[in-house]
Amino acid sequence: MTNMYISIILIIAAPLIGGLLYGFERIVKARMQRRIGPPLLQPFYDFFKLADKRKMVVHSAHAFLGIMHFISLWFALAVLLLGGDLILVIFLHLLSSALLILSAYSTRSVFSHLGANRSAISILAYEPVLIIIAVSIFMLTGSFEAGAAFSSNQPLLYKMPLAFVALLLVLPIKLKKSPFDVAEAHQEVTGGVELEFSGIFYEAVYTAKWLDYVFCYTLIFLFAGSNLLLGFALSIFTFIYLNALDNSTARVNYKQMLRFSLGVSFSLAFINLLINSLS
Amino acid sequence: MNLSGYRKKSPWILHYNAGSCNGCDIEILACLGPKYDIERFGMINTGNPKQSDILLVTGPVTKRSRERLVEIYAQMPEPKVVIACGACASTGGVFRGMYNCEGGVDQYIPVDVYVCGCGTRPEQIIDGVVQGLAILEQKTKELEASVKLNNEAIEENHQVNRRHIAASIK
Repeated sequence: MTNMYISIILIIAAPLIGGLLYGFERIVKARMQRRIGPPLLQPFYDFFKLADKRKMVVHSAHAFLGIMHFISLWFALAVLLLGGDLILVIFLHLLSSALLILSAYSTRSVFSHLGANRSAISILAYEPVLIIIAVSIFMLTGSFEAGAAFSSNQPLLYKMPLAFVALLLVLPIKLKKSPFDVAEAHQEVTGGVELEFSGIFYEAVYTAKWLDYVFCYTLIFLFAGSNLLLGFALSIFTFIYLNALDNSTARVNYKQMLRFSLGVSFSLAFINLLINSLS
Repeated sequence: MNLSGYRKKSPWILHYNAGSCNGCDIEILACLGPKYDIERFGMINTGNPKQSDILLVTGPVTKRSRERLVEIYAQMPEPKVVIACGACASTGGVFRGMYNCEGGVDQYIPVDVYVCGCGTRPEQIIDGVVQGLAILEQKTKELEASVKLNNEAIEENHQVNRRHIAASIK
């Protein structure tokens, strides 16, 4: 029962945690480049500032889809934290991305369309790996429930290390981090799918980015089972790895990203699944 | 709830090159680097007019780039501040009187802060942005009311001058 309360508190505080995580990440990234970096609460300052800007709505469906993206992502996170079905979680996450892509297609902006194409391709790159990981967890724990993975006594990491490596390789695609950030690509398509949002409607997309951080780190926690210490260690490792990778690599194009993801990450996850199902 | 105090804590910058020689642009990018690091004030170079607060314009506004400049200005949601960076953007600089430009950003859009220098120093740009932030805090998010303009453009020293047209608004 206490687990349930903790999950509910985590769900309600998820945007807050994500915002702090994003603010901390910006500082860490700046320090890696020998800069001072913005204050920790910078994402919240941005949040309040954006609330005060004039709204420029392209059309109402566009703004509505942006807000639905935020809500469905929060819902996916809630299902994951409450220990729901992993396949459902992945599907809900896919739905939230699809809503954002739809909203980008609904405008007439060329950059928005380009960003939507690229986002769709990045979904194609990371989604199969996530599903294979979910199936691997099913092979080990006997159920698709995330709760079973969270409460397993032996951490799943020891039994599926290759799947963890595969997850580490697809996380930059999901979080739009540097070698695989074609979907956002600020220098080429100036943000892609989020291009046409402004004011309070951009806030929904901006906050959804924070929720994505919490979502990804919860996926990392899946591998630690009931061992919380290991979970935090893995998260800190992932955090440093993601930022170091983001700072030290240049963007690859979408073909290279797709080839790498389906060639290397997918094969790693698949080999892991084969070993799990044979042993 | 009064949120206007947060404007100066997270100004997002849009940089537009209106035919500049790239000197001022390099200085703007130098502001983002480790030495000056304007991100510590929460500034981001967004490149997206719909989400930015400050428009940094460099260059003497060539006839090719003026429509884009006005278009970008119109796409920025209020409150917004325009900063003319460099001698060319402020007055036309060495290009003043040439056939392909009409000297300065303020011929087309209202400018709040002028930053001098050819090219401007990063310190000057940061100072100009800080002055712009004080103006940003006073602005409202309503659209500006339309005003009937009575004055005509005049030509002086082989240079079309539109500055006094908008002067009647203030």
